[in-house]
Amino acid sequence: MYLAIREMRFSKVRYTLIATIMLLVSFLVLFVTGLARGLAYDNAASIENMEATHFLMEKDSNHRFTRSQVGAEALEQAKSIAGENNAQPLGVRMTTVTLEEYKLDVTLLAVEPEGWLTPPAAQGSSLEEAGVGSVLVDSKLKDSGVRIGSTLVDQASGMKWTVAGFVDRESFSHSPAVFLSEHDWRQLQQVAAARSGMPTDTTYSAIAVKAGKQQAERLAAALPDNEIVTKSEAVSAIPGYKEEQGSLMMMIVFLFVISAFVLAVFFYVITIQKSSQFGILKAIGTRASYLAGSVALQVLLLCLGSLTISVLLVQALESVLPSGMPFQLPASTLALTSGAFLAMSLAGSLLSVWKVSRINALDAIGRTAA
Amino acid sequence: MRHRIVLQNITHSFEDGGMRRVVLDNLNVSVAEGELVAVMGPSGSGKSTFLSIAGALLEPTSGDVLVDGQSVIGKAHQELSDMRLHKLGFIFQSANLIPYLKVEEQLLFVAKQGGVDKKQATGRARELLQKLGLTHRRSSYPEKLSGGERQRVAIARALMNDPAVLLADEPTASLDASRGMDVVRMIAGEAKEQGKAAIMVTHDERVLPLCDRVLYLEEGRLVAH
Repeated sequence: MYLAIREMRFSKVRYTLIATIMLLVSFLVLFVTGLARGLAYDNAASIENMEATHFLMEKDSNHRFTRSQVGAEALEQAKSIAGENNAQPLGVRMTTVTLEEYKLDVTLLAVEPEGWLTPPAAQGSSLEEAGVGSVLVDSKLKDSGVRIGSTLVDQASGMKWTVAGFVDRESFSHSPAVFLSEHDWRQLQQVAAARSGMPTDTTYSAIAVKAGKQQAERLAAALPDNEIVTKSEAVSAIPGYKEEQGSLMMMIVFLFVISAFVLAVFFYVITIQKSSQFGILKAIGTRASYLAGSVALQVLLLCLGSLTISVLLVQALESVLPSGMPFQLPASTLALTSGAFLAMSLAGSLLSVWKVSRINALDAIGRTAA
Repeated sequence: MRHRIVLQNITHSFEDGGMRRVVLDNLNVSVAEGELVAVMGPSGSGKSTFLSIAGALLEPTSGDVLVDGQSVIGKAHQELSDMRLHKLGFIFQSANLIPYLKVEEQLLFVAKQGGVDKKQATGRARELLQKLGLTHRRSSYPEKLSGGERQRVAIARALMNDPAVLLADEPTASLDASRGMDVVRMIAGEAKEQGKAAIMVTHDERVLPLCDRVLYLEEGRLVAH
């Protein structure tokens, strides 16, 4: 403690330089982490927002909502096992709608208007009040000119829906969500079936279930044609989700490794430069463990200092970012990232600690300069 | 008269290119309290090895070193560290102060390592600095001091934990004649006054009159001329 702090006080420039590098790296780590979280949420917000624990999907659908088809009888069975209130049908279809002459890519999410999958309206009336032919849309669509009362026309089926209200932060695979009632979903399917000339029964994309582990197992056993998928599995199967998160994750991991190496090299060079000084200290009776602790403490102080500043900077930045920017850094992620950064830095100091413990006190005798 | 450091039958040798080189050969020396012994010898005669062994930095091939009657042979690293901290005071060739500690902090650090109470340590540091004429330099960094002042701080640091033995490794090497004389006079004075045994390795003949005994390291043994 005594040596570590006094040395930092004495060599201000040297330690400020390294603290600045640490500050920049940790800021970048936090920013990219926030961006990754923000993009993840933006990508899968609607699924993340759902209170479901599991989704029942078609077998061999690769956990993808858009590929899966589940029949009404599966819904009945799921209700009987998980409880009447714990299973809800969910329809997912990515499509293009037109608003006057504009085309908009959206994802249709079909839900029971009175069920727990339906988000509350942030503006306008709820899906339940609005009735048949009405939809709730993500507030991002306001930027494209969608207003309450606007009419959206589905390009594939030609069906028309009236916008009854807006919901906040609802999207699927980066496209804004359009919530419609299960009744309209059935109609949509009938129109599609009529066009293709193959009448089919009503199907859903998945059944959202609130279930414990045992219930989930019972569901899987009772419905051999279906697969029970956890929420996180379903989220990572959303098109583009894994690829996007993977590349951001790689950047973050690299930044962690870089920061550990920068610290390791910096302290290793300083330690070698000071090896005769450490020799003197050992000769006059300072224990090796004290000196090693001193190096580790310096790393810890530098790291904590730069982390604190970069956390403040990131939070300041977050408050001035435009609302459309996908950026999210909740306290838990912040704490986890900071902890990992601290751990990597300490790992980087190990080399120097080892070097210090190897320095021989004998070097002090017969030396001309410290 | 009490012998504060005794080296008994010290032999030190090492392998050098397949040959066995004997640096110290059955060396014996005792230094009593208040005594300053100068050790002279050409370079390569084993002065540094001798000082390292006396200073518990190096274990001899055979023989025993007793500091205040306590053997330093066969001790663990940490015990040796503590021994150097409490019983031995080193003064190195060019002071070798810690560059980022102020003069007073150099002394307080040693006291802190030795577990001395802070108030007591501050008192002792002030007293030592005053005695060595460094009071006005109390809060200067070593880089601002002259060579002589630095060496005086080194003496104060060596004395801080009230050791039994002072070991000086050519303390006058980087000083001019009169500063060198001053420094050795101080070491001799402290040894006398506080009853410490002092060993000084040197090849500066001008300071020899200040020493109680002058020994020459020849063929691995210490002899008086």
